[in-house]
Amino acid sequence: MSTIATPVTVRRPGPRAWLTLVVCEAKMVARDTAGLVVPLGLPLLILLTSAHAAGDQEVVAGFSALEAYVLPLVLTMVMATIGVINMPSFLAYYRHSGILRRLAVTPASPAMVLVAQVIVSVLQTVLGLALALGVAFLGFGASPPAHPATAVGVYALAMAAMYAVGMIVAAVAPTPNSAVAIGLVGFFALGALGGMFGGPGSLPEPFAAVGERLPFGAAVQALAAAWVGAPVEPVHLISLGVTVVVGSVTAALLFRWG
Amino acid sequence: MSSDTNGSGTGGRAPAILAEGLVKRYRDKVAVDDVSLRVDAGEVLGVLGTNGAGKTTTVEMIAGLRRPDRGSVRVLGLDPRRDRAKVCQVLGVQLQAAYLHGALTVAELLDLYRSFYPDPRPAAELLDLVGLEEQRRVRFEKLSGGQQQRVSIALAMVGRPRVVILDELTTGLDPLARRRMWATVERLRDEGVTIVLVSHAMEEVERLCDRVALLDAGRLVAVGPPGELTARAGADTLDDAFVALTGKQLEAAE
Repeated sequence: MSTIATPVTVRRPGPRAWLTLVVCEAKMVARDTAGLVVPLGLPLLILLTSAHAAGDQEVVAGFSALEAYVLPLVLTMVMATIGVINMPSFLAYYRHSGILRRLAVTPASPAMVLVAQVIVSVLQTVLGLALALGVAFLGFGASPPAHPATAVGVYALAMAAMYAVGMIVAAVAPTPNSAVAIGLVGFFALGALGGMFGGPGSLPEPFAAVGERLPFGAAVQALAAAWVGAPVEPVHLISLGVTVVVGSVTAALLFRWG
Repeated sequence: MSSDTNGSGTGGRAPAILAEGLVKRYRDKVAVDDVSLRVDAGEVLGVLGTNGAGKTTTVEMIAGLRRPDRGSVRVLGLDPRRDRAKVCQVLGVQLQAAYLHGALTVAELLDLYRSFYPDPRPAAELLDLVGLEEQRRVRFEKLSGGQQQRVSIALAMVGRPRVVILDELTTGLDPLARRRMWATVERLRDEGVTIVLVSHAMEEVERLCDRVALLDAGRLVAVGPPGELTARAGADTLDDAFVALTGKQLEAAE
């Protein structure tokens, strides 16, 4: 049986398509105003309510509890809410509603959407970071990190770890609603064990030990160390690194497009 | 029954779509059972059948969205799963159950999908084709069901496809919008586009389709020009032929 011999040339979507997709994903996030309240509003609220008192407690020479505890916590919350709650709920919604299926029959791949989503949530995280740092520096006279490069590196690794946790949520959640539920439970569980409700030492020792080995606690501790110029403990970096690997592998094995 | 020769009045033309022996099971249920279809270049094939007859599963296998358990599909000589990148350049699809980015406006959605193709139709032309000029600044989630469907149809034509699959083109559309969609399909046909049209509307099928494939319980029960199917069933209308042909199948199964 002969079929039409028609050469079809593959022209993959170029930079303009990528830019359009990123802009569209950004509009989706920006128009989902409820989704912005938690990652931008909650950390800011915590900062505003605790920065004043924390700024007066000197913890290490030249650094107060604001830099040693409140800021690392607030910055970790920004990336955890975006990575663990928002990103998976968007992905689950895209999958459940058939958006990814529709894209699968265009020259754009659903993977392009994933990448655009990650770019947009990184931008969102940077916005939350800038907002929190702006308020901390200008409003409460916080000092910049003693090791800025280490702090940036730790932040990037921690962000990757939060996305990895988010990808597990996206992979296992059957519906958009359950993605939000699983994301919230995951966020609060990791956060509670990582010292989100009360300073270090407020948790019973075994819980604290587990918590600092989980990505939220590890991120807070590693950021705090970088901020006050203490050496970052390997156990925290290993925890974040393992989370990235486990999350990526789990997501790759379990994630479904349709 | 071999559909390669059955009822195709187009003789030696090369097929744009060739599906052979398609089988698809969902758990214990056989959704599509040994369906073979040939659609010639420039032809409009209607796919008719009762609910659950396997129409959507069949066209989704042709579009490469579902992997057949058995059988093969070629679209312009290409395997829609293995040669996905190539097939997506030439295939336009309107899916029955696909939502789009809800918070984007009609114009933004068109621009997004236009950006995926090397030579897309202008947005103004697409808006005109589906009659959504006035809604261009309205978010997709705020549109009525019929308007959302028209956006979906416009997106099927964005990339100047050579083969178009329309799954329930006019279901849920008002009579005016329905006529506009028919005119759009006629225009595509005049441009030489090959079209597979899943439908429940006999009037639509009689008006637009060169041939009709009738599915029942996952099996292909008849293929041919609408008039010929009507005559073969000894019926007065395609509607009656549909009932007669699918009814016979039920009796035979009993």
